[in-house]
Amino acid sequence: MKHLLTWFGIAALAMVAARAEAPTLMAIRNARVVPVSGPAMARATVVMRGGLIVDVGEAAAIPPGAWVIEGEGLTVYPGLVDALDSVGITEASALEAAPAARRPGMGAPAGPTPAAGPPPAKGPEDRPMTSSWLRAADLVKPEEPRVATLRSAGFTTAVSYPMRGIFAGQGAVIDLAGERGGDMVVATPAGQYITMRSGGFVSYPGSLMGVIAYIRQVYLDAGHYKTVEGMYEANRRGMKRPDYDRALEGVMESPRILLPADRKVEMDRMIRFGKELGQATVLYGMQEGYRSADLLKGAGMPVLVNLKWPAKARDGDPNAYETLRTLEVRAHAPETPSVLEKAGVKFAFYTGGLTSGREIKAAVRRAMEAGLTEEAAVRALTLEPAGIYGVADRLGSIEKGKIANLVVSKGDLFGEKSEIKYIIVDGKKFEPEPESEAPGSGGRGPMTAEVGR
Amino acid sequence: MKRLSAAAVMVLAGVGAARAEVTLIKNATILTVTKGTITKGSILIRDGKIAEVGQSVAAPAEATVIDAAGEYVMPGIIDCHSHIATEAVNEGSVSVSSMVGIPDTLNPEDIYIYDALAGGVTTVNVLHGSANAIGGKTVVIKTRWGKSAEELPFEGALPGIKFALGENPKRQGSPSVFRATNLRYPATRMGVEDTIREAFNEAKIYQAEWNDYRAALARGEHPEPPRRDLKLDPLVEVLEGKRLVHAHCYRADEILMLLKVADDYGFKIRTLQHVLEGYKVAKEIAAHGTGASTFSDWWAYKEEAYDAIPYNAAIMTKKGVVVSLNSDSEELMRHLNDEAAKVMKYGGLSETEALSMITINPAKQLMIEKRVGSIEVGKDADLAIFDGHPLSNYSKVVKTIIDGQVYFDRAKDVAGRAAKEQEKAQLIAKEKERARKESEGQRRARPGAGEQAPKPEVAQ
Amino acid sequence: MKRLAAVLICCGVGYAADGNSFVIEHATIHPVSGADIVNGSVLVKDGKIAAVGTKVAAKGVRVVEGKGLHVYPGMINSATELGLSEISAIRETNDTNELGEFDPQLKAEVAVNPASEHIPVTRANGITAAMTLPSTEGGQGIVTGQAALIHLDGWTWAEMTVMSGAAMEMLFPSLEAPRRSFLAPPGAAGPPFREVKKAYDEKMRRLREFFEEARRYRAAKEGNEAGLKRDLRLEAMIPVLEGKMPVMVVAPREREMKAALDFAKEQKVRMVLAGCRELGKLGPEIKAAGVPVILGPTLATPLEQDMPYDHAYALPEEFHKAGIEIAFGTFDVQFARNLPYEASMAAAFGLPKDEALKSVTLNAAKIWGVADRMGSIEVGKAADLMVTDGDPLETRTAVLQVYIDGRPVDLNNRHKRLYEEYMKRP
Repeated sequence: MKHLLTWFGIAALAMVAARAEAPTLMAIRNARVVPVSGPAMARATVVMRGGLIVDVGEAAAIPPGAWVIEGEGLTVYPGLVDALDSVGITEASALEAAPAARRPGMGAPAGPTPAAGPPPAKGPEDRPMTSSWLRAADLVKPEEPRVATLRSAGFTTAVSYPMRGIFAGQGAVIDLAGERGGDMVVATPAGQYITMRSGGFVSYPGSLMGVIAYIRQVYLDAGHYKTVEGMYEANRRGMKRPDYDRALEGVMESPRILLPADRKVEMDRMIRFGKELGQATVLYGMQEGYRSADLLKGAGMPVLVNLKWPAKARDGDPNAYETLRTLEVRAHAPETPSVLEKAGVKFAFYTGGLTSGREIKAAVRRAMEAGLTEEAAVRALTLEPAGIYGVADRLGSIEKGKIANLVVSKGDLFGEKSEIKYIIVDGKKFEPEPESEAPGSGGRGPMTAEVGR
Repeated sequence: MKRLSAAAVMVLAGVGAARAEVTLIKNATILTVTKGTITKGSILIRDGKIAEVGQSVAAPAEATVIDAAGEYVMPGIIDCHSHIATEAVNEGSVSVSSMVGIPDTLNPEDIYIYDALAGGVTTVNVLHGSANAIGGKTVVIKTRWGKSAEELPFEGALPGIKFALGENPKRQGSPSVFRATNLRYPATRMGVEDTIREAFNEAKIYQAEWNDYRAALARGEHPEPPRRDLKLDPLVEVLEGKRLVHAHCYRADEILMLLKVADDYGFKIRTLQHVLEGYKVAKEIAAHGTGASTFSDWWAYKEEAYDAIPYNAAIMTKKGVVVSLNSDSEELMRHLNDEAAKVMKYGGLSETEALSMITINPAKQLMIEKRVGSIEVGKDADLAIFDGHPLSNYSKVVKTIIDGQVYFDRAKDVAGRAAKEQEKAQLIAKEKERARKESEGQRRARPGAGEQAPKPEVAQ
Repeated sequence: MKRLAAVLICCGVGYAADGNSFVIEHATIHPVSGADIVNGSVLVKDGKIAAVGTKVAAKGVRVVEGKGLHVYPGMINSATELGLSEISAIRETNDTNELGEFDPQLKAEVAVNPASEHIPVTRANGITAAMTLPSTEGGQGIVTGQAALIHLDGWTWAEMTVMSGAAMEMLFPSLEAPRRSFLAPPGAAGPPFREVKKAYDEKMRRLREFFEEARRYRAAKEGNEAGLKRDLRLEAMIPVLEGKMPVMVVAPREREMKAALDFAKEQKVRMVLAGCRELGKLGPEIKAAGVPVILGPTLATPLEQDMPYDHAYALPEEFHKAGIEIAFGTFDVQFARNLPYEASMAAAFGLPKDEALKSVTLNAAKIWGVADRMGSIEVGKAADLMVTDGDPLETRTAVLQVYIDGRPVDLNNRHKRLYEEYMKRP
């Protein structure tokens, strides 16, 4: 009893300090465990120490002195991973780090940011809308409000990116808890977030073809840069030193690129573009994935599926004429995961602007109603994103040695009446914060001031 | 429409349309354009090519037969100036935008491809816009509706680049709705000329740098490579005759200016687009060997179009210029045959000359006349079948054929409409039903207080 | 045939001072109001049609030999900017779209430039009369002014005017979201519907209020109310309220068409719908209301992405089949001469050929209340005629002579002059 009181005392303190209790030794017992990497265990124990999983199994022993969570009636899953987000990055920090990434010549949204953007770019040499060197790892902050929101929805991990501009910057795999930004970072850089946004009519690039040409030129420049750097390194004396170009540096250190593709024609275009650039490519968006299975299968590129299914605009004209394709996409987009599962296309989910656990669960359930198996749904939020980002050795499943990221629910995670009980991040236990009443009112999160594509 | 595998695409692209199919069109009035008119004639199509044309054509038993009794067959229409099938038209930010290109943004699902087919158009020169003196790269496509972006381009057709003179490229040099500040050079027609000269001057220097580099490599040296510049590459291709220039222009002065710049830098203007005052300098255009792709009767929509006359095509034709009629419009494109009839009205050209304006002449301008533009043995089976004479306003397209394959069939289009409407109605009903259920579900599932969570305890 | 045309044009000009009396003989006459007359004659006396038929007694008048030729009534373009706009991109040359929401006092004809190059260009294709509108696409007003029916010939606008105040033009308020500027950032959302609706409701309220104000003004005027000050705007509305002048309501979409129908019924005004680009379910209602419709442009892409490709082409027949009276307009100036091809395209997609011809002649005259004066070749009507070598709805057909009020009209124009000038360049 005394112990329990102490526990509550710590818990209360933790709440006040917005920090989780951090017992170094913790176990969940008598729970159903879904490791993802292997078959589910009906009644097993997961033991964690120092933020890592040290034992898991039906016969796993609970070391003395461990904090124990009674798992009777609960199911333990690997912590969920949001494969593409900007969680943890505040607009202010990103802007401060890279004002040039903004759309030139356009006014900024109201607020403390400067009123006018940079002057119009006159060509690729101006490196317009580029902040490729920005690292999410340097920008994330645990106190950014969406960190807690997403964590409460069962996410222990996200791949967070700066999202402004064409070459927005380098993502990082982050855990959704920590005292300082640095504590959160699991792996960096995770990849370069690329968009097809253009600078408007007056600033280069001002069109989709301009954006594509710009990206192509940047990669050509990077190749040339590397060659010249190499020549210089081999023979510094007597050779003019090459100019340092942080835009190219940023591009070159990114292990993969993320290219946007919602429509089938965009998928086709971006698949060819990714191959042309010779970069490891991950496609994101996928609204028309339901009609593009062969195309995606043939491409052999992993894809990130936006869980925010297209929906009729709430504030649109109720009598607006809608094309068959528009209606079809709204009806069939949630079939995308199921179609990809059947076709054997590697895919992961991202929350794409959904703000609450309830919305996210509803979106996953919608995909399951459209034929996605529960197993694949869980994988697309755990082991698949971990695999796509090359961190499956540390994340994405409940295995000995992996990071102690877990989500504990009552009932199947995506069951209608399920309820998330605990989220464990780096071996620290959290309980979900209550959701706000108005769903979807929060908007897209911190990086959405700029118009999306 | 399942997408073909990459390998299959290569095969298809290699041989045009590699299907061992035989089709016979019979009982038609055939307007060959280059070889006269054949009444009650037949066209035999084999493997996407025209195999035989004449009044008595023997067809194998397995041939698919199209009975065109009472109908007219003409070569598929070629539109030498269009902006369909692309998701971008203008890179308007800079005065030289040769680094961008339409091939990067082709959209095979653009509905205007289908509309073009429905107007008998089978080949289209898809151009960059006219916002800059030197615009982006262009591409010739066939209107193969249902195929992928890679399957649209006309195999073997030379790539192009758009130039633009006059009001459009200089517009951003003066304060306007486009720009209030940060004005863009040029603001005058003199500046437009200079912009083109500067670009080609730069291209020549760049070309020389690369030539020097390659020569050094050949000598076994290891020099520092020049930087690839996507803006200058296409201009070097123009200088080397590997890329065709399609230049938007209106006034006689700017037309002459451009021909002179081209002569000075040693390249050719392949087509002058719009060229509404071409009739004033037809002699010079003909002497340069440049084609003219014009409107039938557009005029007075802007200052530089005030001297435009519907006799333009006729005058230029009479003075030895190869002239085509283009659309530059998703609408006009659907009845270029009616546009062609206007050169008979204005300037008294013949039926054949009229039809040539939208078939063999644009084919010549795009240097694809060995493949398309007339009904001749060996050419691509790109055909438009009309229910009456195509130069009559009362006629309409009933079938459009590309590479021997029917891509548009009016009867099927009409027959399929009800099903499409029904499909839409079903989708709308389903969506409404879902919305209803969801709002119901939300009302029911207002979460009450969850059960007490099991309390953790400390193991002894 | 083309050579013959040239000869006839020269002769036509020669007749100019002939008291507007002549007879065209041995031609095929297409009266439009009745059956074609083969080998017939049209006798014109003092600018009016005096006789039509195979046996026309024509003594003492000049004879125009029409063998192998066709005579049609001159065509009427029911919606143009003729005389009001010269070069569309140059604001200074445009006199459409006045400021203000309610400008019923504006009269289009007073700004018609009789020297506009568009007038001879248009009439050279057989178009002898046109409705010219005070406002066109892009106009921001609601009641934009009085359209005028003008002849495409005359030394002054006063001479050209056939009917002042032929219709009160209205651009009906729309619930369609305003079109986005191409300068707007890609993907930017339009205004929410509730805002569009609010602005629409507000506009409708002002519109009703304006009509109510006009009605009260009329009552006050009739009652000789003491101290009533003359109000030019409200006074201009009186013919509308009395049903003497139709409102010509531009409403492209079904929703706006329906709202306009309701409005006309509620306000008890005579209405002509214009610029309709779909019919939807409104056929029976428009027919029952006896509202005629000015269609155009027919040469248009489908209104929405996946409407049938021939939606605009087949639309006139959809209206005609519903029993609605239709006429065509081009709603512009540069392409006003292509009016006949609007009709023939409609015919290619179902509209009966004779109906297509009527829709650019007699129907238009009926709709604008001048069928007693023009629109067909009938005794007593003005001799607005064209002589052609074939069907005028066919592009290939040459228009050889044009008469307005029996005057042979000069078919030369800017285009022909430049043609002749530059053909001569060595």
